[in-house]
Amino acid sequence: MADHPAVEVSDLSVSYGSVPVLAGVALTVPAGTGVCVTGENGIGKSTLLRCVSGLQRPDDGRIRVFGANPGSSPEFWAAVVTTVEPPTWYPGLTTREHAELICRAHGQDPDEAGVDEALDRFGLTGHADAIPPSLSSGQKQRLTLALALIRPSSLLILDEPEQRLDPEGRASVAAMLVDYLAGGGSLLMASHDDKFSVASGAELTTMESLVP
Amino acid sequence: MTVIVPLRPVRRWIHQRQVSHRERAATLGNLYVAALLIAVVGAMTHEQLAKIFWPSRPDLGALPALALSLLGAGFLLRTMRAVGPVTLGRPAAYFLLTAPVSRRRLLLPSLRLAALAAASVAALIATAIAGHAAPHALAGPLIAAGTLLGAGLLLVAVVAQRVRVWATVTDRLATLVAAAGLILLVVDNLAIGDPPAIDGWPSRSALLSVVLALAVAVGAGTALVVRDLARTPDDRILEAAKTTGTIFDTAFGMEPSFVTDMVARRYWTSRRLTSARPPARLPVLTGQDFLMVRRRLPRLLWLLAATPIPLLLTAAPPWAAALAVLAGAMIAGGTTTRTVNTDAGNPVLLRLLAISSRQALLQRLWIPGALAFAWSLIALLLMQLAGDLPAGPWPLLSVPVGVVGGLAAVRRARAGFVRNDLLPLDTPMGTVSTGPLVYAFAGPDALILGIPALIAISQGTALTWTLLLFQTALALIGARAYLAGTTDPERVELQS
Repeated sequence: MADHPAVEVSDLSVSYGSVPVLAGVALTVPAGTGVCVTGENGIGKSTLLRCVSGLQRPDDGRIRVFGANPGSSPEFWAAVVTTVEPPTWYPGLTTREHAELICRAHGQDPDEAGVDEALDRFGLTGHADAIPPSLSSGQKQRLTLALALIRPSSLLILDEPEQRLDPEGRASVAAMLVDYLAGGGSLLMASHDDKFSVASGAELTTMESLVP
Repeated sequence: MTVIVPLRPVRRWIHQRQVSHRERAATLGNLYVAALLIAVVGAMTHEQLAKIFWPSRPDLGALPALALSLLGAGFLLRTMRAVGPVTLGRPAAYFLLTAPVSRRRLLLPSLRLAALAAASVAALIATAIAGHAAPHALAGPLIAAGTLLGAGLLLVAVVAQRVRVWATVTDRLATLVAAAGLILLVVDNLAIGDPPAIDGWPSRSALLSVVLALAVAVGAGTALVVRDLARTPDDRILEAAKTTGTIFDTAFGMEPSFVTDMVARRYWTSRRLTSARPPARLPVLTGQDFLMVRRRLPRLLWLLAATPIPLLLTAAPPWAAALAVLAGAMIAGGTTTRTVNTDAGNPVLLRLLAISSRQALLQRLWIPGALAFAWSLIALLLMQLAGDLPAGPWPLLSVPVGVVGGLAAVRRARAGFVRNDLLPLDTPMGTVSTGPLVYAFAGPDALILGIPALIAISQGTALTWTLLLFQTALALIGARAYLAGTTDPERVELQS
């Protein structure tokens, strides 16, 4: 896995009907580094992330994630975490139980994995016994990121993670992404906040620059 | 000073605009289809309807008649409380509830409609019970009394909607009344067997006096309720508007998940949860379902209360009780399958868990299977205790029935949304959409694996070990085939 870049995209093309969204896009995210794609609304950032996550089939082009095709296998999703699509929360499960469920599914002891610390860092300690649908949109975003970061992974694909976060939350998430990269993880994200992206340790690139 | 705007011209204006956008031919076509449907269904079922509502001679004792009356009253009151009963359409709730119009005039049409519905349902229940239990000469006053009681229950529901304290009391009372009816039915079936009573009824004139007194009481109650109608708090009206709006969406969109989603959302929003850990030995998703079962105590109590239903149906055609055992097992199994429904609709959390669809489904089958097993075990034991089953190891039949019921519940939860892209069927009564039909059978169709059990219970002959083994093997092979055929160890998505 370490021999390959985390993400390799070449000649990627996607159209919605007759409207081309991506045309000949090329992108490489070396393993252990972070890349943040920026650009205006509708330029194709989310479509690119969806294709890399294997959630959308491109019209043309080649995508490799750690040297293999992105897929829907358990092995792929054990290595990759994405927030491109919002989750539907399990009914009757509290915020803490969602976090513990993720830990247990990955063979981690919830205490050793640091569920309490994660909830604390994301400002969710006071909402540990709440059901996620009762949280505010910003708190749901924090929970989504907490769940993404609490489990082991090799690549994070985040679509505008700063969305709906207050300034303090943005700084906190950026610091956690720096830690993630320092721990050997790779990061591909789309963002509208250059300051946040720089603070998260990712290299900024524009969608225009991805078309050779 | 606030000026009250007359409501009638506003409503008339809205109605005229709506009518101008509606195709007259389409409205007439809908009326034609509805009339034809009623005529055809009536012609097809009039004999069965006559048996249900008006048998040639009374065949029900006083005790079961009282029990059915209590059951009917309890469920009618619960239904009215669940719907509102005072409600508005969603557009009216948005545009008119906040307008300076007379609140009483705004809500009166809804109250009239609710009163008509409550009285009609109560009249139907009263007709059926009076037809089965009383001399037909006395049925008129009894039906009138039942209708007035239905209207009276509506008034209780309206007061409960307005006054929060009464809401809890009324809901508990309705549950208690329904539970008392069910217990009386079981007691009558197991021990008493009350025969039909032709004599001993009050005279017609006495019954008419009771009806008159009831009419006066309901009339006075209606006047008081209408007087205070404007005091119904906005939040209760908005809540009722959301409920009825969702019910209409479900009816017009033929999409039952709208209502089930709403019910689930409200249930969990009203609960105060404390985070807990499932037993570490359980597989991770089975553990999650285990937590869910612990948190659904009210549903478990309802399910427990429903276990005598197959026993009560032993007087009906033999297949009815057998079918009730299988259907009850499926419904019991469905206690935790909202999690499967969540994963089937949106696989984001399954991707985060990185569990294969086969593992996920296998882990999700245990608790539904256990609940279906427990429910069918109690139902079969009750039937055996009442002597309605011949000799044989009937309780053991609950093992395969549990597997089948759990499987059917999980399959039902994976059905997702109604597919409206399927080819429609043209019939003389109009076009029938096949999507809702396919959706309705997704889940119950798995009960086909329980046909040997259905035959065994229906036939009334001793249960042999051969049949039991055959049913067990069929259930296990069916479950295995379902897992192998609809899941993949190399895929996390749980779509069916």
